[in-house]
Formats: sequence, structure tokens, C-alpha cells
Amino acid sequence: MAKDIVAGVLCCVGTFFFLLGTTGLLRMPDIFTRLHPSTKCDTLGACSIIIGLAVYSGWSWEMPKLVVIACFLLLSSATCGHAIGRSALRRDIGYWRRKGTEVEDGDGA
Amino acid sequence: MKNLLALLFIIALAALLLYVAANMPPMGDPDNPTATHVIPRYLEGAEKETHTENVITGIILNYRGYDTMGEVTVIFSALAAVLAVLGRERRGRIHAYVDRSTVPSSVIVRTMVRFLVPLIVLFSVYTILHGEISPGGGFQGGAIIGGSMIVFTTIFGLYESSRRIPQKVRFPLEGSAVVTFFLVGVLGMVGGGNFLTYAWPRVAAGLQPALVTWLTVLVEIGIGLGGAMVLTSILFCMIREEEEIAVVA
Repeated sequence: MAKDIVAGVLCCVGTFFFLLGTTGLLRMPDIFTRLHPSTKCDTLGACSIIIGLAVYSGWSWEMPKLVVIACFLLLSSATCGHAIGRSALRRDIGYWRRKGTEVEDGDGA
Repeated sequence: MKNLLALLFIIALAALLLYVAANMPPMGDPDNPTATHVIPRYLEGAEKETHTENVITGIILNYRGYDTMGEVTVIFSALAAVLAVLGRERRGRIHAYVDRSTVPSSVIVRTMVRFLVPLIVLFSVYTILHGEISPGGGFQGGAIIGGSMIVFTTIFGLYESSRRIPQKVRFPLEGSAVVTFFLVGVLGMVGGGNFLTYAWPRVAAGLQPALVTWLTVLVEIGIGLGGAMVLTSILFCMIREEEEIAVVA
């Protein structure tokens, strides 16, 4: 019973972060700010759901598999976020500024 | 005028398609032709007749072995076509790979790829060998190896990855899917059955379950290896990096 509640709460937390991440991806203005919420989908969202499922499955062969999947997800999605952000930075994709506050180019944006 | 004709044609086609769709049997009806002819036989008899726990593997490799052999041949002829147009990759003897992309790959990405690619290959081996009892199989496992090679080649370049899987290894293994399939099929004929029957009625009456299982696994391994090598070779053919020019000079 307690197991089900913990699993359910973890899955709800994961879904909530997916909702947040998707909203942020759609609403944020430029690549860097979009990268910030969208990486939360994989790390916090998917990992909470997977850990919730691991709790739900209890002591079985599914649990270590799920934990391993969560580890790989953490590693690869963090690497992906790093690669995208670094590539955008090096390609001189500019930051978003509020209208009227654009500064002269020259701060390495 | 032309637009009007096109519109009329589209309307006529839509009417025809809707008419046909309206006459189709309802979805999920147990009396559908799809549910009454061979499917019950597959579902009920697969485990006893093909000795594989996974019905899908039983259908793909055993009941529809001819079909799958054709698919394997299609993959091989795709490679042959790519080779005929592009030719094998030429790789120099000196490491002259220069990362000329706008953004060179960072240490973090390279370390992660070096760490993850062996695990991906391990997972594909698991997929291939477990295809007989769980979802997965040769095609999927081969595709996973091909995907891992794409990741590795993108980060480390053609020189490094074709050093890991050199041409002289790939060359004999590319046809392994077709060859394994054909050999297992002929073995069925030698054993007294038809082409691509896994059981050998004349040779091994008592061993049949184990024999069928192991031959299925053998075919899976052949498909997996062949598919992986074909995908890798196609990838290598399609990469024309600056490194090739740099080495030839």
C-alpha cells in the first residue's frame, strides 16, 4: 500500500516536470532558455517516473533494469544538453533580450 | 482548368476510397478474415511447432522464413547498390583526421561516447540473443549496433571507427545474414524436410526441440551480424570527409 502511494507520488512528480518542461520549451524565447526547461524533462521528469516504477515493481528483476535505465538517461541527456548548449554558444546564436534593452554586440553573445 | 481537373480527380479518388473504406470489415471483429485464417493457427501452434517462446520470432523466422530471407536479401542488395554507386571507403594509413565541424566535439561528449558505445553494443548482443524468447531479434540488434557506430563515427571520425571495424572484418560478415539463412535452409533439406524447415525429421527425431531452438538462434545471430555490418558499411561509404582528401595528398 505504502509502495503504491510512493510510486504514484513519484510518477505524478515526473509528469508534472514533463508538463513544466514542455510548457517552457514552447514559451521560452531563445535556445538557451529553452534548453533550461527541456533538459528537466529527461532528468527530473523521466527519472522520477522510472524511480516510481522501480518502487512499484518492488524487489524483482525489473528494479535493477529500471535503475540502470535511469542512470543511462541521466548520463546521456545531460551530455546532450551540454552538446546543444555548447554548439549554440560557439555558433554565436544570440541571446534573447527584452525589447529596447539590446546592448551593443561585443559581450561574446 | 488544370486545377479544376485535379480537384475533380481528387474528389473522385476520395469518393472511391471512402466507398471502399465503408465496405471494410469492422475493426476488431473476431469474424474478420485476418482473425479467422492463419492467425489462430500461429497463436495456438507456434510454441509447439516452432519451439520458440516468442510467437513473433516463430512467425518471422519459421512460418514466414521465405519472406524474411527475402528481406535479408533486400538489405544486402541495398548495400550492393550503395557500393556500386559510391564505392568502398578509402582510408589512409596515417591518422589525418581533422575535426572541421564548426564546433569540435567537447571532452565531455567524447568521454560519454567512449563510455556508452560498448554498453550499447552489449545491449544489442542481448537483443539479438534474447530475440528468441523476448521482443527483439536480429534486425533490431543489428540496427542498434549500426546506431552506435553512427554515434561513434560522428564524434571520432571515419579513421577511428573504421580502425575498430576494419574492412577485412566487415567484408566477409556483410553477407552473413543471407548465408546463414541459406545454410540453415539447406540443412533442413539435408535432414529430410523442406527448404527452411528447422526440424530434421530423418536425422534427429529425439533432438528436434533443442535443434529448432538453436538453429533459430543461429539465424538470429547471422541476421544481427549481417545487418550491423551492412549498416556500418553503408555509413562508411556515405562519409566523405576531408580526412580522405588530406590522406591522399
